[in-house]
Amino acid sequence: MKISWPHMGSLEFVMSSVFEELGLDYVLPPPSSQRTLELGTRYGPEFACFPLKTTLGNFIEAIEAGADTLIMVAGKGPCRFGFYAETQRRILEDAGYRFRMVMLEFEPNKLPATIRKLKELKQGRPWRSVAWAIKFALSKAYLIDRLEQQALHQRCLDRERGATTKALERCYRMVWEADSYASLRKVEQEAFGLLQNVPREERETVKVGIVGEFYLVLEPFFNLGVEEQLGNLGAYVERSVYLTDWLRPSGNNPVAGQHDREVEEAARPYLTHFVGGEGLRSVGATVLYHRNGYDGVVHVMPFTCMPETIAKSILPRVSRDLGIPVLSLVIDEMTGKAGVATRLEAFVDLARFRRRARDAGIDYSLQPAF
Amino acid sequence: MRVGIPGGLLYFRYGKLWTSFLQALGAEVVESGETTRSILSSGVSKAENESCLPVKVFYGHVLALRDKVDAIFVPRLVSVKKGTHTCPKMLGLPDLARAAVEDKVPVIAPTINFQEGMWANYRAVYSLGRLFTRDPLRIVRAGLEAWSEHRLYLERLTLGLDHRSALKGETEDLLCEGRELRIGVIGHHYNVYDTFTTMSLLDRLSSMGVDVVTADMVPEELKRRELRRLPKDIYWSYEQEVAGAILACTRYRLVDGIIFMISFPCGPDSIIRVLCEQENRRMGGVPMLSLVIDEHTGEGGFLTRIEAFVDMLRRRKGIASEVREAVAV
Repeated sequence: MKISWPHMGSLEFVMSSVFEELGLDYVLPPPSSQRTLELGTRYGPEFACFPLKTTLGNFIEAIEAGADTLIMVAGKGPCRFGFYAETQRRILEDAGYRFRMVMLEFEPNKLPATIRKLKELKQGRPWRSVAWAIKFALSKAYLIDRLEQQALHQRCLDRERGATTKALERCYRMVWEADSYASLRKVEQEAFGLLQNVPREERETVKVGIVGEFYLVLEPFFNLGVEEQLGNLGAYVERSVYLTDWLRPSGNNPVAGQHDREVEEAARPYLTHFVGGEGLRSVGATVLYHRNGYDGVVHVMPFTCMPETIAKSILPRVSRDLGIPVLSLVIDEMTGKAGVATRLEAFVDLARFRRRARDAGIDYSLQPAF
Repeated sequence: MRVGIPGGLLYFRYGKLWTSFLQALGAEVVESGETTRSILSSGVSKAENESCLPVKVFYGHVLALRDKVDAIFVPRLVSVKKGTHTCPKMLGLPDLARAAVEDKVPVIAPTINFQEGMWANYRAVYSLGRLFTRDPLRIVRAGLEAWSEHRLYLERLTLGLDHRSALKGETEDLLCEGRELRIGVIGHHYNVYDTFTTMSLLDRLSSMGVDVVTADMVPEELKRRELRRLPKDIYWSYEQEVAGAILACTRYRLVDGIIFMISFPCGPDSIIRVLCEQENRRMGGVPMLSLVIDEHTGEGGFLTRIEAFVDMLRRRKGIASEVREAVAV
């Protein structure tokens, strides 16, 4: 049984760490590329959301690389994500691929079936070591999240463009090679040291928050490197979604530092109900960023994403009320990198002028948005 | 108090319920009526580009009401059946309406959620009633009355009346009269019954001499049986009806062909379409035409596809295709 799963940010580290630890056979799908996207859009339904197409592309490439068992999480709505696995299974079957799709559902009434599936997947390894492997992998993911956050914060100060990104890649490798909690602790110190020793220079920065749909926020290839571009443009970046925060069921988000209840409360004047996905979080986090003195918010969403479309309809109102500029980037397979780069440049300039105006005590009220 | 009810989205299912409830409570109900070109274009210019067509139409209706009423009634239907959700856009609808009117008019938004049990729903309805009257008995009576009106309306739809005549209580024009060709026009209520955005599809089909079967006319039991066969439950309640109706039509050959009405870019429909098309193919089912409509759909192209589909079905069934007159509706 060769197991594979779609890419999503640093999920590959978590999953492959679990399988390495247990000594199970797995196939890491080839890194997302233009081909992934082409395969996904060829087979995917016309106006299904973007992540469905990209993960479909990942699956196809994984099957081509020899995988025969695909893992996908499923849920129960209201967002389409819960139905991805089922839809992709049907599409891939129609396209003539041979594989097994394992849908993992975590609702109370589906748990027994999920446990049976996990039992099959673990191939006779004891539950104890499975639990330990998952716990260790999550610790790695938590460290990666914090390193990424550090990189987001400091990228704008790089003396040499791309130095932080290079250091971060070395950190990834170091974390990946850690095999026990003791070495993970050592790696943690080394990695943070590595990032902090990237040569810096003092520069005028603006603070920009990234909100939006979790897949696109987490996946640098498909969001066209929004974080990195913003950092290179001289923005101190913070984002509202991190992988371990997203996986955490408690509602406490230690990396992003915003508790779900806090987000909900912040969104209440504009959006009063959960709308699936990250819709509520996008609105709430924008308000929180405003409270924390950020100069702008970039909202990243896939085309036709239902919760984010709601957020996008409401964000102009938030922006007008609070006077925080919000740039909504709608991304799909047609989005060009240059277009996004231009808009980000203009946005960072805007945020910078507003910050200067505010510091100088000049009126900087927002112009009507289009 | 003058309360406006926008005639888009779920109005095509609960319109009767809402108007009769509010009227029984003594409110003056102002409806925005049927979709028109100006409603659509004001909605399109105000709504977010990425929204689906019915939401844009809904925006138009809300804007049409904005200056005429004291409050707009946009209930939030979170779940209308245990274990299911409605579409996320309906969860956020009152907030979208609030953003559309820019707080010039208050939005009355009771939350109906069947996941939380009947007591929560009763309280939501009751506190809605308290906005209009202090008499508890009157609220309960209005609720029961409205509910029976609603049941009657749904029954009329089941019998084969379209939305407009079911609302008015006319019983003459049946969609299904036993003509030789029968087509299932299946989709969300607001996609099938909105005469403007569908360019009077139902009328056109019946003037072509075709019987129409809507999702409401497919027996509940058949839909439920089909849904039980699916490996993964569909968790959108309105999608369940659509998928159930399509699969039941296919398996039991209730129709000669299916037109699946989808509005661009409907999220759940894009997923359900894959499911339905595959199941249909596996059952060796009936011809299916997925019609995707948006605000740019041209009448000519739309009509051509419908005519071609009908002709194809006629030929398949071996009915001599009569000389067709130009159809103007």
